[in-house]
Amino acid sequence: MSHADARVGATNRDMLWLALIPSGLFIGLVWALSAIALPWQLQLDWVPSLGVGLDWYIDALSAQFLVLITGIGTMVFIYASGYMAHDANAGRFFLLLLLFMTAMVGVVSADHLLVLFLFWELTSLISFFLVGFKHTDEQARASARQALFITLGGGLALLAAFILLAQITGTWSLQAIVASGPELIEDPRLPAVLMLLFIGCFTKSAQFPFHFWLPNAMSAPTPASAYLHSATMVKLGIYLLARFDPAFNELLLWEVSLIGIGTITAVWAALLALRERDLKRILARSTVSALGTLVLLIGLPNEEAALAVIAFLFAHALYKAPLFFVAGNIDHATGTRSIDHLMGLRRQMPFTMVAAILASLSMAGLPLSFGYVAKDVVTTAKSGTDLLQIVSYGLLFVNSIAVAVAAVAAIRVFWGPANPAFARVREVSWRMLLPPLLIAIVGLEFELMPAFTDPLLVDAARVIAPAADIGDLSADHSIATFVTVAEVLVIGLVLFLFWEQLHRYLAGLARLDHYGCAALFERLLAGLTRVAAWHTKTLQHGNLSGYMRLTLVVLLLFGLGAWLAGDVDGSGLWASSWPAYEQGWALLAATVLISAGALAAPFVYGRLALLMVIGLVGYGSAVLFLFAGAPDVAFTQFMVETVLVVVAAAVLPHYGAPSRYPEPRLLNAAVAVAAGIATFILLAHMFSVPSDRSLAEWFATNSLPEAHGRNVVNVILVDFRALDTFGEIAVVAFSALAAWPLLRTMRKRRRTS
Amino acid sequence: MTLLVLLSISIVVAAAVYLSLSRDLFRVVIGLTMLGAATNLIVFAAGRFATLTPPLLTTVEDAQAAAVANPLVQALVLTAIVISFALLCFALVLGARLRAQAGNDDVKQMHATEPVAWDSVKPPELEN
Repeated sequence: MSHADARVGATNRDMLWLALIPSGLFIGLVWALSAIALPWQLQLDWVPSLGVGLDWYIDALSAQFLVLITGIGTMVFIYASGYMAHDANAGRFFLLLLLFMTAMVGVVSADHLLVLFLFWELTSLISFFLVGFKHTDEQARASARQALFITLGGGLALLAAFILLAQITGTWSLQAIVASGPELIEDPRLPAVLMLLFIGCFTKSAQFPFHFWLPNAMSAPTPASAYLHSATMVKLGIYLLARFDPAFNELLLWEVSLIGIGTITAVWAALLALRERDLKRILARSTVSALGTLVLLIGLPNEEAALAVIAFLFAHALYKAPLFFVAGNIDHATGTRSIDHLMGLRRQMPFTMVAAILASLSMAGLPLSFGYVAKDVVTTAKSGTDLLQIVSYGLLFVNSIAVAVAAVAAIRVFWGPANPAFARVREVSWRMLLPPLLIAIVGLEFELMPAFTDPLLVDAARVIAPAADIGDLSADHSIATFVTVAEVLVIGLVLFLFWEQLHRYLAGLARLDHYGCAALFERLLAGLTRVAAWHTKTLQHGNLSGYMRLTLVVLLLFGLGAWLAGDVDGSGLWASSWPAYEQGWALLAATVLISAGALAAPFVYGRLALLMVIGLVGYGSAVLFLFAGAPDVAFTQFMVETVLVVVAAAVLPHYGAPSRYPEPRLLNAAVAVAAGIATFILLAHMFSVPSDRSLAEWFATNSLPEAHGRNVVNVILVDFRALDTFGEIAVVAFSALAAWPLLRTMRKRRRTS
Repeated sequence: MTLLVLLSISIVVAAAVYLSLSRDLFRVVIGLTMLGAATNLIVFAAGRFATLTPPLLTTVEDAQAAAVANPLVQALVLTAIVISFALLCFALVLGARLRAQAGNDDVKQMHATEPVAWDSVKPPELEN
């Protein structure tokens, strides 16, 4: 048995037992909800020195998400045990699902903003791994990268928003910040906070213009799509917006942004759904559309909207997850998700069809489904506010498309003539049938038996709108709702009948592929690498002279900037009186020597001549030292210049004849002259302030009594700063040690050649 | 007088920068050495050249007289001269060795550690 076989055998173990983890959590949660009153709080130390604690706070809103996470999670685990049964990487997949569930629980339970952020980023990261799960597929890798860039980029914005919030309110607690009131609303930094918060939430919840990553994320295995990209993770943006809604509800910016972006997203995604042929991508577009509707509902200023958000969020999870499972079943059984080929599957896949129909009833918002309840409260919420007419029409359109999408999933795929290519298609296993059927039936049951969910959902709505007088959820079957639903249904079915025509028209709009947000984003990324490549090529060219030139120019520009900015006081430049000298002639001779050497250097090319020229500078300096009261320094300089001749005589033969390479002489000369002028300005400034002689005087007064030396310079070198001198000797010794082997190899080479 | 000294220091800096921008390795070495010499002069100038009298004391009272030259900068420059001499010697030997290995003394062709990129995005591969 080969190694590969052993691996497949090992990873193909039945993973169904793992569903015990989410189901155990779910049952425990439901029991706890019935036994212990909300909210639950727990505070643990984590990094006390930084004030970061593992603070948990679970109220009804968190609890509603926890129910979704564990409940849908259980179904996802059961489903995945069937879906991934023949996948060699099933173990990795389940590990990611478990990690994801943990991260989600962390996000919705955390009260400390940094802890929330940590789990928030973790969900983005795991989403990346799941989208790119089929890592051999280049398209999947590209989609995963896109999703990661967008959600993690948004995460950074969110972190900035959190930091600003903590600075404004002085606390990291989400509860305390939401409750902080006017000091937060009146802070001048609030618009920045809101913008950053919007970017964070809109990227996560795939709002316009970041909506395109979600349909691309459909390259993830279907259980992950159902779990992350429809039921839970993409709702985190909604969760956070709902959390902050009580604090910002009154703000015009909040209202306008959410209603505007929500409407644009909902309508645009609904339109784009008509362009798709892939069943999963159609569902993903309609998910984006639903998320847009949720954002819009949060933006509504009235209190009924809170209940609408909660009900619609719950209803959406309960019908969209089964529809994804249905798409997964069809993909699994037929090998395709293209609605061009999918038809007449009702005989081969009857149970899948039942699940699709049940879920679609709820999605279309037909009476007797939970979707109808959601529609009812949404209608109430809308009627309670003077909504712009265009937003109302937009919502009507969005809901009609939802009906059409539901019809595609439930009718188009299963009815009509059977496709002969699918003659051997069989219904999938019970593991893949139970989850969609069960969730869809639960979606219907909640309408008929509201007693179970009502309290939780109404409590969750009270978290979003604390002041509101929220009644119960049970649909009152008002005439207004019924009329709305009927209206939407008729328009939706008409859209469904003309789906092909609409699709053909929209798919023909090729410009959308070139100038859409997705295309622009990809172009931005490509541009980024091009800029990086250009930057590297221009700045890291490997030319040493170029580096030197660039460094000098930047240094000079900084100096110029400092001078112009007034950091250097230039007033005393010419005003100061220059000290007079008795040794004028000697110093004049020294400066002439130095200047002559320096001026000649650029024009001299011979090696020996160049050494002589810098010798001029050296001897000139020595003369200067000698006549400025520094005989010791002068003697050292004289000696060094003399020994240099001996060293040069030994090394110069190795250099050979000089060659005159072509180089930008004028440019180099310009940089050199600029450096000279800068030096002069610097020196002039140095001389315009009085010299601080305190250290010099300290050494002079302490030299005789403490070190018993009359030559102060020598005392400084060998006594006060003896360690410096020791270091200097070490440098000389080390350079000799380093030069020795270099010289020896050269001598050897010459001998051998 | 000081003006002349400052001018000559500035000229040394300019010449040193010009030499160090050269493609000829030997000129670069000489340029850096000149830059060191200029720095020594700047440090020395910071102590001012007010007097001819060296800081040699016969009595403690001599120290109080401001007419003595600044001993601190002298000590600093003395150290610096010796170190820049050691640096120059080493640089000359290293340059000769580099030239022997590369076959020429063109600074522009010395990019063994930074090879020319062959791809617009990927990093170039290092030769051994």
